[in-house]
Amino acid sequence: MKNFVLVLLIAPLVAQSPPATPQAKPPAPQAKTEAWLTGTLDLGYRWVGKVGGDFNTYRSVVNLGEGPKLFGADLSLTDPSRRLFDRIDVRGHSWGGDPYNTARIDARKQGLYEFSFDYRNLAYFNFLPSFADPTRERGFFLNQRAFDTVRRSRDFRLDLFPGRRITPYFAYQRNMGEGSGITNLVLDGNEYPIRTRLYDRADDYRGGFRFQFSRFHLTLEQGGINYADDQSTFWPGGRHGGNVLTPYFDQRLFLESASQLYHVRSDSLYSGAMFTANPLSWVDLHGQFLYSRPHSTAKLAQQNTGNFLDFSVLAFYTAQLDTVAGEARRPHSSGSFSAELRPIRRVRVIESWMTDRLHNAGSALLGEMLLAGARTVDVERVFAAQRLVLNYNQQQVEVVVDVTSWLALRGGHRYVWGDAQTPAGLINLPYGDWSGQLRRHVGLAGASLRVGQKFRGSIDFEASPGDRAFFRTSLNDYQKARIRARYQVLPSLILAGNVGLLQNQNPAPGVNYDFLSRDNALLVNWNPWGGDYLSLLAEYSRSTLRSDILYRVPSTLGRELSYYRERAHGGTALADVKLPGSGTIKPKLSFGGSLFASSGSRPARYYQPLARTAVAFKDRLEWNWEWRWYALTQQLYLFEGFRTHQFTTGLRLTM
Amino acid sequence: MRCHLNQPTQLGRLQGGHARSRVACVACHSVHKGFAKLAPRQAAAVNRGCAACHTAEWAEFQRPHRHKLPEAVMSCVDCHNPHGNFLPGSAQTVAANEPGCFKCHADKRGPFAFEHPPVRLQGCRTCHEPHGSANPRLLTRHEQRFVCLECHANVGLTGNAGGVPPAFHDLASARFRNCTICHTKIHGSYADRALRR
Repeated sequence: MKNFVLVLLIAPLVAQSPPATPQAKPPAPQAKTEAWLTGTLDLGYRWVGKVGGDFNTYRSVVNLGEGPKLFGADLSLTDPSRRLFDRIDVRGHSWGGDPYNTARIDARKQGLYEFSFDYRNLAYFNFLPSFADPTRERGFFLNQRAFDTVRRSRDFRLDLFPGRRITPYFAYQRNMGEGSGITNLVLDGNEYPIRTRLYDRADDYRGGFRFQFSRFHLTLEQGGINYADDQSTFWPGGRHGGNVLTPYFDQRLFLESASQLYHVRSDSLYSGAMFTANPLSWVDLHGQFLYSRPHSTAKLAQQNTGNFLDFSVLAFYTAQLDTVAGEARRPHSSGSFSAELRPIRRVRVIESWMTDRLHNAGSALLGEMLLAGARTVDVERVFAAQRLVLNYNQQQVEVVVDVTSWLALRGGHRYVWGDAQTPAGLINLPYGDWSGQLRRHVGLAGASLRVGQKFRGSIDFEASPGDRAFFRTSLNDYQKARIRARYQVLPSLILAGNVGLLQNQNPAPGVNYDFLSRDNALLVNWNPWGGDYLSLLAEYSRSTLRSDILYRVPSTLGRELSYYRERAHGGTALADVKLPGSGTIKPKLSFGGSLFASSGSRPARYYQPLARTAVAFKDRLEWNWEWRWYALTQQLYLFEGFRTHQFTTGLRLTM
Repeated sequence: MRCHLNQPTQLGRLQGGHARSRVACVACHSVHKGFAKLAPRQAAAVNRGCAACHTAEWAEFQRPHRHKLPEAVMSCVDCHNPHGNFLPGSAQTVAANEPGCFKCHADKRGPFAFEHPPVRLQGCRTCHEPHGSANPRLLTRHEQRFVCLECHANVGLTGNAGGVPPAFHDLASARFRNCTICHTKIHGSYADRALRR
């Protein structure tokens, strides 16, 4: 019976005809002489020079290592018989001990399937004392929130019968992270940086059907996630003084042993329905409804021994036993709908609406026992619950008028409204839930220019007088503008430029927020003589950021000014020069690199110049070498600088 | 568009910036140069294409702390949908309607028993510059305390969220200038509403 049902389900899918929309014709059969395997392989060796300065900063920013490498592979496999596949593309990048490895496989057979697999492995090392080091003034350079982890993701996707009216698809992703690090065990009056082991994984399964017809498309999707997080934090034994060395009531606080174990499990079911349609020649409709329902349960077991102080009862204790059971649910629904109407020639009206609503309900039950030797100091059972609600809505209408064939003007209005409720924060004075409103009327304007094939540009502007916002630093009374242009001056010369501005203010008493960000960038792409001898790609950017806002000093509640400044120059360039060769030997010299130099609140200089030579022997073999320099200096954080150079040589094989 | 108008990729077209600015399909898709140029899949090729117009955004990736796009391990389309999406900046979504950041940063997804509200109400950009920053952890400010105190400066239940830390937070002490020293679970906690474990 099962087989019968299976056949019944699959038969219509296989038998379906292609939709009315024209499909790309299958490629013509290959000539027998065409290669079945094509592509390139880049193999080589990298030497890393002595790293001057702080090695941990080098690892946090660059992290490239020495040794033999597969720098890249880009292979395409075609099956002349086209029985199992038409084409398989295999790509890989940075294999052989590098911190960032990728692999991707794409396989397809016209009309039957499309399959993709994507693998990424990213090392995440972060040890920067300027981030979290309260002991720096004592001469210890330690990041108490440091990580040495890897994050791996594997993405599989299979689309069946692509190009047909009904297309089923399946996807699976596994994302996991593991490694070790340093984190703090936080207890009353002191915190102890200790070792932590991190492990989390998420399995995401989804599948659906796409229905494609000439006048509409509909996608229905269902998926689910399983998530696990098993972080553990421990101190195996030995006296650990923590960050606070001053005694309380003549007693020093210290840690003898600690273990903190998390066991978090989460799952979520999610659904989506999405459609596009053009029921009439002058109407396009798009819409989607998405719903997810994540749910978490968590257990935490903590045991620590040492000498501690319970501030609530002002008593010292030597052992702590805690268990916490937590749970949270967060149903989340989102919907959007948009329509483009073309009532008369040269005029388009674009109307869109979206809503995003979530409601998080969480609770935790704490059981705690504090012991001083055999004596019980305190026993507590505490239940806490919290709620977070967000209702966000946005409606926008925009009219686009094609004034001429080369100029379109836009104008419109966006209205953003909603409300939120956040939990009773421990740090709200007085305690209590916070609920806030969001109201924003935004005026929109813009223009698109296209002069022949040589010039195109766009201007976008939006401004809001500000009304109500959730946070002090949220967009409030703001103006935002962006100009982009691209001009082909000569067949060999392209210029592109960007100008951006964001000004945001919140003049409310006690806030006085004043934010201004500007960025300008220019790109030059010059390929004289068809790029046969010389090509240049260069980009320069200049950005400035100014932010002033009042804040309160917690201990006095006095007002202070938080100001942040950044004035930055950035640039990247790469010039390729073809050198004179002989016969089939074709050498090429490339040089350039990138730089970033900023002044202001955190001045930094980050340089990465490079020089590269490649010598091609006939068409299938190339020898190349590259020199690259990395240098980071920060005037106010000299202990977080490094410099090193790297030398790479390799062969590129072309098939 | 005559053929591709009613395809799933066009779902967010009307809300995306490319359609609004009338960016032609062939600006990104070369129809006559083979499959690799028709729909670039290699991260480096995708990034090159985006950077040709989005020069200012590409400049942000030259900062020392950044997502690894120049290293070609990530591409712009990992976080943005070039065809448009209903979220600002055409940001990608994951698991139906969760922000795309949580595809990789799954440990920040929750749901937590005790959420840090800005993560959900305003998103990661409240505290982080996702493209690149001169500050560690892509923070928007050079020191942690300013990131936190710029919001946590409201006495009483005012119009904005975020109260003032209790008075024992003496900023003269380095312990209290590094907020995540104690508030280690700053994105959300399963066990402690002060986000300390």
